[in-house]
Amino acid sequence: MVEFRKHTLSNGLKVIVHRDTTTPMAAVNILYDVGARDEDPDRTGFAHLFEHLMFEGSVNILRYDYHLQHAGGENNAFTTNDITNYYLTLPAQNLETAFWLESDRMLNLAFSEEKLATQKNVVVEEYRQSYLNQPYGDAWLMLRPLAYTEHPYRWATIGQCIDHIYHANLADVKSFFKRFYHPANAILTVAGHVDPDHVFKLAEKWFGEIDAGQGNIRDLPREPSQKEERRQVVERDVPQDQIFMAFHMCARTHPDFFATDLLSDILANGDSARLPAKLVHEQKLFSEVNAYLTGNIDPGLFVITGKPHSHVDARQAEEILWREALTMANEAIGVRELQKVKNKIEATQTFSESNVLAKAMNLSYHELLGDAAMINKQTDAYFSVDASHIKRVAADLFALRNVSVLHYVKKDQPGL
Amino acid sequence: MPDRKKPPKTELITSIPFINPTGARLPNGLPIYFMEGGTEDFLKVEMVFFAGSYQQFQPLVAYATANLIRSGSRHKNREEIHELLDFYSAHLQLDAQKDITSVSMFVLNKHLEPALDLMAELIRDPLFPEEELLAFLKNQKQLHLINQKKVQHLARTCFNELVYGESHPYGYKLKVEDFDQVNRDQLLAFHHHWYRPENAFCIVSGKLPDHITQAMAHRFGDDSWLGQDKPVSPFYKMLSTGSRKVHLEVPGAVQSAVRIGKQLVNRTHPSFHKLKITNALFGGYFGSRLMQNIRQDKGFTYGIGSNLVSLLKSGYFFISTQVGTVVTHEAIKEIYKELVALRTVPASDDELETLKNYLSGSFLRSFDGPFAQSERLKELLVFGLDQRHYEDYLTTLKTIKAEEIMLTAADYLHEDSMMEVVAGGQG
Repeated sequence: MVEFRKHTLSNGLKVIVHRDTTTPMAAVNILYDVGARDEDPDRTGFAHLFEHLMFEGSVNILRYDYHLQHAGGENNAFTTNDITNYYLTLPAQNLETAFWLESDRMLNLAFSEEKLATQKNVVVEEYRQSYLNQPYGDAWLMLRPLAYTEHPYRWATIGQCIDHIYHANLADVKSFFKRFYHPANAILTVAGHVDPDHVFKLAEKWFGEIDAGQGNIRDLPREPSQKEERRQVVERDVPQDQIFMAFHMCARTHPDFFATDLLSDILANGDSARLPAKLVHEQKLFSEVNAYLTGNIDPGLFVITGKPHSHVDARQAEEILWREALTMANEAIGVRELQKVKNKIEATQTFSESNVLAKAMNLSYHELLGDAAMINKQTDAYFSVDASHIKRVAADLFALRNVSVLHYVKKDQPGL
Repeated sequence: MPDRKKPPKTELITSIPFINPTGARLPNGLPIYFMEGGTEDFLKVEMVFFAGSYQQFQPLVAYATANLIRSGSRHKNREEIHELLDFYSAHLQLDAQKDITSVSMFVLNKHLEPALDLMAELIRDPLFPEEELLAFLKNQKQLHLINQKKVQHLARTCFNELVYGESHPYGYKLKVEDFDQVNRDQLLAFHHHWYRPENAFCIVSGKLPDHITQAMAHRFGDDSWLGQDKPVSPFYKMLSTGSRKVHLEVPGAVQSAVRIGKQLVNRTHPSFHKLKITNALFGGYFGSRLMQNIRQDKGFTYGIGSNLVSLLKSGYFFISTQVGTVVTHEAIKEIYKELVALRTVPASDDELETLKNYLSGSFLRSFDGPFAQSERLKELLVFGLDQRHYEDYLTTLKTIKAEEIMLTAADYLHEDSMMEVVAGGQG
């Protein structure tokens, strides 16, 4: 049970506090309700590039990292298709430093051409390191536009192409800040060895005077429902084929979400799950298999993927994965099998509650989804799902007209 | 209106909230340590054996032994074992390193009894079924082939080989044939020799139930687990090192992985704490000189860092980064410039103070909670050290001066003593 208090400042900033006196640390998490889905299709990768610029100095503070390190703190941030999330931990007695730093960069940034140019280079190197110079690293750059034709999930957070990053200019950066970085578009959570009343006072002191900014109404194109199977084949210099099958699934707040998540757990969470047990260990057809959700807020993707051994060709591999997926819709799910995946959920939830930073992040995220209190109802929501619900979800998901298939195959290299 | 130009006051960390472990020996002599703490009802049981790749006579044997203890035991087959682990959501981690193998399990208190039964059976009575071993090796061989496509992996393995020599277990680079030469007898022998109470210690941390000592003694404390005779570690000669440079050309690479470093002392050496602090200033955190110069100033890379690694019989220092192929040459030049600066340009008061504050905060973080503290205790036990080691570090951190950092760099990190590996494009 994660107990917390919540308060909204007059400018719209939501503040959540969770007290945990077993740690000497405090964790501060600021979630901005902006992600790659909010980008202009011609300027993708912008939310993530902007995340880099948030560390390049604000209106009164030139060196964010320097001051945080001076207070014994550590920080990082990540951008997804849905959100941009900044977090830090520091010794609890130095908490005010975090408020000073975070409020100043919400107030305004110290924009400069030079810093923008450097961070563009850093992001391009990140692009190369994570997507281009890794075996299978570019698979999602192809799978997204195959699965989505309209919704902005069709591009990756890093950006659709390197050119988009090079083309970012300072005017775009400033208008992006104005549009998305203001109190009403943020959720601040503090967890750790702190006094909630003191935290609310600090929030008022440092964030209270920041202008509310304009509200941001999100009006994203809806992904039209898919009518027929989509396929793509690419050849790359990799030692082994990989098959990706991506199915459109429900949104995060849809009542089917928990059943869908459990479905992926039955298929692939743990070595005794169906896909690894059968295809990797028993029949030895694949070296790796997986099933997972992309974890989005808007309707996301349910992915089944696997690397078949060389005696199984890509076509056969796909058929085998299909067969296993369809048994979920057509055959019974065991009582113990269902209990097993629920036990895993319970354990994962409990483990994550032993860490103040994880608690701070989760509180912010659930608040964004609608209510921070949902953090304490997750396990129950999973436990109340029954087998018939999972089977029904599987029957809806695993249809030919709902799938995008990518065959990422090994280039023939005679002599190797 | 708050004064936004002036940073709020900060307080330095003066002490670390050590959890004092209670120690005991089980009847067969196995040392066991308990660390009570945490807010949630779960715990971690970790068994550490002094059995790593250093103890093996054939590549991959330590690694395969650790991974295959969950693939069949005297009473259960692979499928049954995995079903039970998943059902009790017992998170089992098997980690075979250079000097040790660690078997650890996170589990909710409510599933402790059946999970401990299973853990004991896996550790004490594995069967290493032939068929499971073959499948494991086949999958590992695939992963090995994928790794050969990663410049970072190529640079790391080549660097280790340069530093320790190809025949030393710290430097040995796996070959694709190695995956065909491991057999069940080797695993049985390795397990029989090294997975013994006289070659191990155990740490239990988290929310501890009252009967935890009995629960552990009952499964791990009996004399019948003792070995017949004490096993003897093999002895390997380390290559004497000089400075060498290697370039591995990877066609089509858009980035190069760079690794520069050398063999060095481990954490038992009197200069270790000073080296740790010197390394942090150089490349050990985001505010370090390497990161500020090569990422933040030049934009050559997404990340760069340096580190000290302690092994039981040695240690090493390395700088690691991935940079665009066209700027590889320039980035390497900057790295050497920073190495020279480390022994010639003193840290300013401000640079030093920030470093000290950051490191003390990060030290506090590394002791946050029973699981983090059990990691720290493990480090001490592996190297035969006690808590004074960490107290000494804090003292060194408080008192070290800029001149001492330069002297440490001159003594241990001279630019001419480095090995250098570049894997990627020529640029």
